Amino acid sequence: MCHITQRSSTSSFPKIYSIFWRFHHTSTSHWCSCSKTISDEKYQDPFQLGKKDLKNLYEDIKKELLVSAAELKEMCDYYFDGKGKAFRPMIVVLMARACNIHYNNSKEVQASQRSVAIIAEMIHTASLVHDDVIDDANSRRGKRTLNQIWGERKAVLAGDFILSAASVALARIGNTTIISVLTQVIEDLVRGEFLQLGSKENENERFAHYLEKTFKKTASLIANSCKAVSILGCPDPKVHEIAYQYGKNVGIAFQLIDDVLDFTSCADHLGKPTAADLKLGLATGPVLFACRQFPEMNAMIMRRFSKPGDVERARKYVLQSDGVQQTTYLAQRYCHAATREIRKLRPSPEREALVHLTEMVLMRDK
Amino acid sequence: MRGLVVLLISKAAGPSTADLSFQHDMVSGIYSSQRSLAEITELIHTAFLVHRGIVNIGELKSCDGPLKDMQFGNKMAVLSGDFLLANACTSLAQLQNTKVVELISSAIGDLVQGIYYENSKSSEENCLTDDIGISRWKEQVFLSHSALLAKSCQAAMELAKHSAEIQDMAFQYGKHMSMSHKLHSDLQPFVRESSSDTIAFSLNSAPAILHQEFRGREAWLKQIREAQGKGNIVDYKKLQEAIKAGKGVTSAIDLCRCHGNRALAALERFPPSEARDALANIVYAVTRFP
Repeated sequence: MCHITQRSSTSSFPKIYSIFWRFHHTSTSHWCSCSKTISDEKYQDPFQLGKKDLKNLYEDIKKELLVSAAELKEMCDYYFDGKGKAFRPMIVVLMARACNIHYNNSKEVQASQRSVAIIAEMIHTASLVHDDVIDDANSRRGKRTLNQIWGERKAVLAGDFILSAASVALARIGNTTIISVLTQVIEDLVRGEFLQLGSKENENERFAHYLEKTFKKTASLIANSCKAVSILGCPDPKVHEIAYQYGKNVGIAFQLIDDVLDFTSCADHLGKPTAADLKLGLATGPVLFACRQFPEMNAMIMRRFSKPGDVERARKYVLQSDGVQQTTYLAQRYCHAATREIRKLRPSPEREALVHLTEMVLMRDK
Repeated sequence: MRGLVVLLISKAAGPSTADLSFQHDMVSGIYSSQRSLAEITELIHTAFLVHRGIVNIGELKSCDGPLKDMQFGNKMAVLSGDFLLANACTSLAQLQNTKVVELISSAIGDLVQGIYYENSKSSEENCLTDDIGISRWKEQVFLSHSALLAKSCQAAMELAKHSAEIQDMAFQYGKHMSMSHKLHSDLQPFVRESSSDTIAFSLNSAPAILHQEFRGREAWLKQIREAQGKGNIVDYKKLQEAIKAGKGVTSAIDLCRCHGNRALAALERFPPSEARDALANIVYAVTRFP
């Protein structure tokens, strides 16, 4: 369990929080002041509980990728090597089970719900492949990136192919509502990438911009795939909203921690280079918080850390500041929100696993 | 052209006979869903024109200009292509027809594979031509040039709930018309009368592939070697003459007309109309040679 120091948070938080809560949580009533994250109920290891549903996940994905050209096939299969965390499919199948139990105590995952898990992982991977080309990245998950091995031209095509296969699988579910929900993800991913290109002058706008980007690039996929399986499992729109809100909050927390790890983890452990965001000119949560303590960072943010030495200096400032703690604290609050949402469902081991999963999001170190 | 063909074939097929409930939606003989489909087809086609323009950073030479600019160009190309594709996906979802989503998604997959073949050809340094026969050539051209249009035409019929037979005829029209269109453009360097300057042609264009089939691979490679001067620069004029002297050009013209006839035969199943005539005229235009 990680302990977050909240010493200095009270002074700086209210203002900036009011901004993003307005942005992201228009309907949220109030926050409980306790930061208790462990309840007395017995926790299930989410990865054990969802394991049998995800058995052969990668084999099934590879079956969706029907290509005749051997090299293109190899490229498409490259990241489905079973070494990924399969974090998204895990959330999706657990959510499916939790919703099914909530609705009619059904203990089965429907084939269509499992397809959503597969499609979510495929859309995610397709976007990684394109992101790596856009960012000119060299390594991911401890492997060389597709663009490093095969060049940008083919890498982009492989990404396009994975996306098209995902959309064929999506169409085969045969439900137009599900198609609309998951198509929203594709649109959000692209718009998120465009948001990442711009930077905002105003500090508050910058934070809202960062959270909006985080939602579109990371949380939308989790939120909408959770929503999709809830629609398939249960007709109650209230449940769909619970699933969506859970996915959205966990997704944002997940990305916030990702942004923290970019500063605190070492490259070997993470499987990709650290301070990668700074090198790309991106100011993530820890930087934005640090900037409140060290206003001299403003200029660096605006020039996207382009001057020699900017990246190192910014990194130093971040580590000196409480940017990392504050970002982690923020992630914690999103996780609380996720937990509160999911607890509205009828109790089940899967529901508790989803609660536990929010903690794993906070504690992960890679 | 693609969007236009989708609109024309929608109009040629006319209103749905199965379902009279959504006929108020029709403007000048075309349903609004078919109009969106035409836009989607264009969006997808354009997205891949953009993605085709991506360069391999590692292969750039210093004479290609600053690396940073090329990286930025790539970034923009990936993003804008994705943006167009995402818009296509959104409009596709709005059509509320899972069969159409499946058809068009599979067409995107076909297009990717077709472009992939194009790419892998140009990257092989030692080998100027592929050792493929005309049937393999047809498969690849179907993926890169015909699948999207064929499947869009079929999807347009599905949107109006036309029968499986009409859907198939629309598919056949789209397929064969675009095959003959591709053959027509491959033939241009060989049939143009004003041959003051050689129009560049691909050694993987239909006449060259057919020429290779007639002469045999060894003889063709020998001709290529003979046309290669200093620094491996190929004298295309010389190769062009070699191909013209053989049967490659005439059999490519035959093939073009054969696909054209199959496209026209598919049209026979549609009732006579101005739209049908227009579709037939497109075929006449791409099968006419000087």
